[in-house]
Amino acid sequence: MILPGNAIVTDATSIIALPAAPLHALEIWSNPEAVAKRVQKALGFALPPMNRSAGNAATTLLRFEPTVWLVEGDTSVLADTLGDDGALTAIGGGVVRMRLAGPHWRELLLEGGVFDTSAAAFPVGATAATIIDHVGVRLHAQSDEACIAYVPSSYAEGLHHFWEAALPLLGA
Amino acid sequence: MYQITCPHCGPRAQTEFTYERTMDSVVDPAADAQTAMQALYTRANPMGLDEEIWRHTYGCRAWMVLTRHRVTHEIHAVRAIGPEALP
Amino acid sequence: MSGPMRPATGEETISFTFDGTTYQARPGDTLAAALLANGIGLVGRSFKYHRPRGIMTAGIEEPNALVTVGTGGRAEPNTRATDVFVYPGMVATSQNRWPSLSLDVASIFGLAAPALGAGFYYKTFFGPAKHWLRYEGFIRRAAGLGNAPTEADPDNFSQTAGFCDVLVVGSGPAGLKAALEAAEAGSSVMLVEQDAAPGGSLLRDPDPAMDPAVMIAQIKALGGKVLLRTTASGYWDHNFLTLTQRLAEPGAVPTHGFAQRLWHVRAGRVILATGLIERPVPFANNDHPGVMLSQAVRSYVRRWRVLPGKRVVIATNNDDAYLTAEALVEAGAEVVALLDARASGPAAPAGVTVHHDARPASVTGRKHGLRKVTAVIGGSEQSFDADLIAVSGGFVPVSHLHMQAGGKLTWNEEAQAFIPGETPQACETVGSALNPPPAPAVAPAGKAKKSFVDFQNDVSLADIDLAWQEGYRSVEHLKRYTTLGMATDQGKTSNMVALSRLAEKQRVTVPEAGLTTFRPPFTPVTMGLLAGAGARNAGAHVRRIPLHGLHEKHDPIWQPLGYWFRPRAYPVNGESLAEASMREARTVRTVAGLSDVSTLGKFEVSGPDAAALLELVCATTVGKLAIGRGRYTFMCREDGIVFDDGTVWRLAENRYLMTSSTGGADRMAGHLSYVRNSLRPDLKCSVVNVQEHYAGIALAGPRARAILASLIGSEPPRHMGYAPATLAGVPVHVLAASYSGERAFEIHVEASHAAAVWQAIDAATRAEGGAPYGLEAMELLRIEKGHVVVGGEVDGRSTPHDLGLGGMLNKAGGFIGAAGLTRPALSAPGRNNLVGLVSLDGPIPEGGMLIQRAGQSPQGHVTAAARRILEGGAIALALLEDGHKRHGEELIVSSPTRGEKARVRVTSPHFYDPAGERYRD
Repeated sequence: MILPGNAIVTDATSIIALPAAPLHALEIWSNPEAVAKRVQKALGFALPPMNRSAGNAATTLLRFEPTVWLVEGDTSVLADTLGDDGALTAIGGGVVRMRLAGPHWRELLLEGGVFDTSAAAFPVGATAATIIDHVGVRLHAQSDEACIAYVPSSYAEGLHHFWEAALPLLGA
Repeated sequence: MYQITCPHCGPRAQTEFTYERTMDSVVDPAADAQTAMQALYTRANPMGLDEEIWRHTYGCRAWMVLTRHRVTHEIHAVRAIGPEALP
Repeated sequence: MSGPMRPATGEETISFTFDGTTYQARPGDTLAAALLANGIGLVGRSFKYHRPRGIMTAGIEEPNALVTVGTGGRAEPNTRATDVFVYPGMVATSQNRWPSLSLDVASIFGLAAPALGAGFYYKTFFGPAKHWLRYEGFIRRAAGLGNAPTEADPDNFSQTAGFCDVLVVGSGPAGLKAALEAAEAGSSVMLVEQDAAPGGSLLRDPDPAMDPAVMIAQIKALGGKVLLRTTASGYWDHNFLTLTQRLAEPGAVPTHGFAQRLWHVRAGRVILATGLIERPVPFANNDHPGVMLSQAVRSYVRRWRVLPGKRVVIATNNDDAYLTAEALVEAGAEVVALLDARASGPAAPAGVTVHHDARPASVTGRKHGLRKVTAVIGGSEQSFDADLIAVSGGFVPVSHLHMQAGGKLTWNEEAQAFIPGETPQACETVGSALNPPPAPAVAPAGKAKKSFVDFQNDVSLADIDLAWQEGYRSVEHLKRYTTLGMATDQGKTSNMVALSRLAEKQRVTVPEAGLTTFRPPFTPVTMGLLAGAGARNAGAHVRRIPLHGLHEKHDPIWQPLGYWFRPRAYPVNGESLAEASMREARTVRTVAGLSDVSTLGKFEVSGPDAAALLELVCATTVGKLAIGRGRYTFMCREDGIVFDDGTVWRLAENRYLMTSSTGGADRMAGHLSYVRNSLRPDLKCSVVNVQEHYAGIALAGPRARAILASLIGSEPPRHMGYAPATLAGVPVHVLAASYSGERAFEIHVEASHAAAVWQAIDAATRAEGGAPYGLEAMELLRIEKGHVVVGGEVDGRSTPHDLGLGGMLNKAGGFIGAAGLTRPALSAPGRNNLVGLVSLDGPIPEGGMLIQRAGQSPQGHVTAAARRILEGGAIALALLEDGHKRHGEELIVSSPTRGEKARVRVTSPHFYDPAGERYRD
C-alpha cells in the first residue's frame, strides 16, 4: 500500500498488478431502501450511487451495476444485513487489480478504449465499467495520480502487455 | 457507431452494448405454443421507429429498451428494465 | 521542364532516393515538390495503358504521381508523392513499369488503346470457368499499381478514443477561424489537418491578417487539441468520426514504434472546413507530365519555391487562375498565354497575353514535360511552345464527410458544383466548400479518345461516350462499366468532369444525371491501422488459464479453444500427439488422471428464487435437488433446440452452482442475465459469473476416489454428490461428476490458490501411477462414453430427443424451449439422431458422410471419431437420419475430400459401461 507520506512522485506512468484481495459481488434483489439503511448502519457509510465508490479503512464499495456492488476487503459485517433481500458471492479469484499510476493514466486508458476518462467525465472517486482493447474492465479513479483497473484474470497479462506497449505514446 | 444513453451510466459508445431483440419478439415463458412461435417467427419489422432490447454488457450489464429509428438510426428514447434498483 | 527557383531561404539538407538515384530536398518538401525541384516530371506509369504520368496536383487528390515509399515490411505502395513529406534516407520507387520508368515494355498497351476501352474485360474475358484460370494471370500482371509488401509490417498501430465539443476538419482560413471562435467560447476543440503544416489555402495564398502559426498557438493556449498529418477519413452515426494520424511518414522508422494512430472521436458538433478541389480540363494528352492544376502550380511556386515550368500556358474558366499567372510572373517564369474559356475576365498581370473564348485542344510532350500546347481560340487553332500547362476547370467542394454524415447536396449552377446542403447530424460546412467561385461549363475542345477524365483508371471521354452508346444510362452503371471513380483516389478529380459529360449525353442538367455516393474512407487507410494492436495476435488477446505457468513446465501441446489456450496432451519421451493422448486416456481408464477444466462456464445462483430461475433455464428438473446433490442438465433455445449443457449443484439451501460449456460460457452469461433481468425481474435471486473465480481440476479413474480421500482426509461424495473440503490447506468444492465414464471428481478452487491444489493432486496421482491428461484424451474418453459436446453433436439443429436426452426433459414443462418443442417438425420422421458407429474395417474418417451405397445422397455425418481406449478398434459418434431406429444397420462412411472410406455398423452411442457401473464405489 502506498501511504500519502511515502508516495513516490514520478513523471512516468507505471502499471502494477496488485496482490490478490478478497472481492465479493453484493447483490440486492428486494427492499433495496431497507437494505441500504441496514448496510449503512453496519458499515458506517452509505452504499455509493451508480458509478461511484465509498469506503473506510477496512472495506471499499464500488458500484458498477444498478443492483450489484463490488466489495473490496472485509465483508464480515455485511452478511447479517442482507437477510433474504440479497447475497454476497466471492469473485476475487477471477479478477486482477492493476494500478495505473502517474500523470498520464487518463490518457493511457483512452488507448483501445471508448470511454471518456477526462477529469470532467470521470472525476476522482468515480467508477466505470467499459471495454478496452476488446476486454471488459472496471475502473476506479482513486486520485488524479492513480486509477485501479479490475481486469478479468485471464486477460490480465494480455492487457498489461498492451498498456506497457502504449506507454511511449503518452504525453506526446 | 451509435451513442446510447444508458439509463444508469449516461452516454456511452455502442461498443459497450449488445443488441438482444425487438420487443415484439420477446417470448413469454408462460405463453402457449402458438403465441410463443408467433413472437419468435413473426415480426413487425417497421421502416421507422421500433422498440429494441439492448444490454450494456461491457458497462453496467443492465438491460434497456431503445426506441430507435430503423432508417436514420436516431434513438428517440431509452428506458431501463430489470429489478428495482437504488438511484 | 521544372526548374530550380528556390532562392536563398532554406537549404537542401535531406537526402532521399527515387528509383535508386540520390537527390536532395528541403525540410517541409513533399516528395512531389522535391522531385520537381530536381527537374523530374515523369513519376509513374498509368494503370491500364502504361502512359507516362507526372505530378498533377499538390494535395491528397493526386491521381497520377503514385509511388512506393519505404522498403521491406514498411513499404507503402500507391503513396501519393504529393502526400508524403521527404525525410532523410527515404526510398521512393516508381510503379507499374518494367524494366524502368523511361523504358516501359507494357506501354505498348497504349497503342492498343482502341481495343482496351470501356468494358474491355467484360467483352474479352468470358466463357467457361476454366478459361478464367488463364485470364486471371494476364489481368493480374497487366493491371494494378504498386505491389503489396510481402513481409510483415514491423510497426505498431495505435487506436485511441477522443472526445470534444467541437471537431473542426481543415485548418484553412475558415477552419482556423471556426476553431479559434469555438475555443474562445469555452468549448473543447479538436482541429485536424491532413497536411504537415496548418493553413490550407493560406500556404498558397497568404493573408497578412491570418497567421496560421499564431492562430494554432492561440487555440492550443485555450486547451484545444491540434492534430496535424491527420485525416478525418470516416463520418459515422451520432457524430462519431474516425481520424487517421500519421506518427511517422510512410516507410519511415517511427520514433516510439507506432507508425499511425486511429482516433475514434465522438464530437458534440462538427465543423467541416474542407475546402475545394480543383477540376482538371479534358483535352488530348491531358495526362502527360507537364499538365498541372493551376492552384497546384501556385502552391509549388509560393509554398515550396519550386518552378514547375519556365514557359507556361494557363487554361481556365474562372478568375482564380489569374492569381497563378501573377505568381508565375513574380517567380520569373514566362506565361506564354492565358487561355480563358469565357468571353471576358479580370485584368491579367503585365506582360501576360489573355485569349478569350480559348480552350486547350491538345499537348505534345517530352520525357519530363511538354513541348507544345495547341488551343482553339475563337474557332481557330493556335500553338504555343510551352513546357507546362496550368489548368483550372472550376472547383469541386469537398463534401465527402458531409455526405458520409447523411447530408444532402444542392446544385450551384454558377459554379457548376454540388455544395453541402441539409444534414441530419450536428454538422455544418463552412468556408469555400460552401461558396465555390463561379466557373461556367465549357465544352471540351480536344479529341475524346485521348482526353482523360479518370487518370488513375485510364478512363477517357471516349470511354464515357462508349458506355452511353452501349446503353449504360445510370451514373451507377457508368461507374461500374468504365471503372470511373473506382481507383484509390475515388474519383476526387474525375467525378464532376465525367458527370458533366454524362449529363451532356443525356441532354439533362448535371443534378438530373445523378451522383454516386461518397463512402468512407476519404483517403486510403492502412489495413494494419484498422486491426490496431490486434494485428499482432489474430485480433484478440489470448485468455490464460490460472495454471498456465504450471502446465508450461510440462511442455504440453497447447490447443487454442476460442480465446483460451488449454493443454491438448502432455507428451513424454518423444511421444506423438496420438501416442500421448492414448496413453493418457488408458491411464484414466486403468489408474487415474488429472486435467485442467478451469475454462468451464460457472455461475453461482443464490436467493429464495434461485431454483425457480434454474427451472426456467434448464430443460431438466432441478428444483427437487437435495442439498449436496447435483445432476446433469441441458438448456434449450426458445425454438426447442439444445444450445448448451452442464451440471447443476445445490451447495446450500438457497445457493446453487451451475456449470456449462467453455465455448458457450459468454453466451450463457448473456442468456442468464436476459432471463433473470428482462423476463423475470420479479425473482429474488442473484446470478454471478464465477467462471474465472474458480479454477477447476478433474480427477478421474478407478483410483480417483482413494487419491482424493487421502488428500481431503475424508470419504469423498458419491457420484453426483457435492461436498466442501480442504485440500492442501485450501478450501475447495468437490463435485463428484464424471465426463470420462470413470468414477471422477471436479475440484473447484479459488483461482488464486489453485497451484497448491493442482500440485498436491498431481503428486498423489503420479504416486499411484496416474498422470495428467489433456483435451485430446478427454475427447477420446467422452466419445467412448457417448457424451455429447457443444459444437459437436450439439450443433444448433438437434433437439433433446435427437440427442437421446428426451427422457430427461422436465415433464412439467415451464422451461425455455418447452413451447418450441411442440413444433410438429421437431417430432417428424427423418430427423438426424445421435448414434454410435463401430468400424468393420479401418479408421472412421472424422466429418465423413454416411451413405448406404456409392452415389447416394448423405443420410448423416460423423461428428467425432476415435479408437476404443482399451480394446482398440475404430468407433465414432454420428448424427444419422432416423438413427434411433437403425441400430445394427451397416453403412459406409465416405469422405471424398480425404479420399477415405470405412464400413461401419450403427450402434448405441454408449460404447463404454452403458449401465454406469463404474461410477459406483
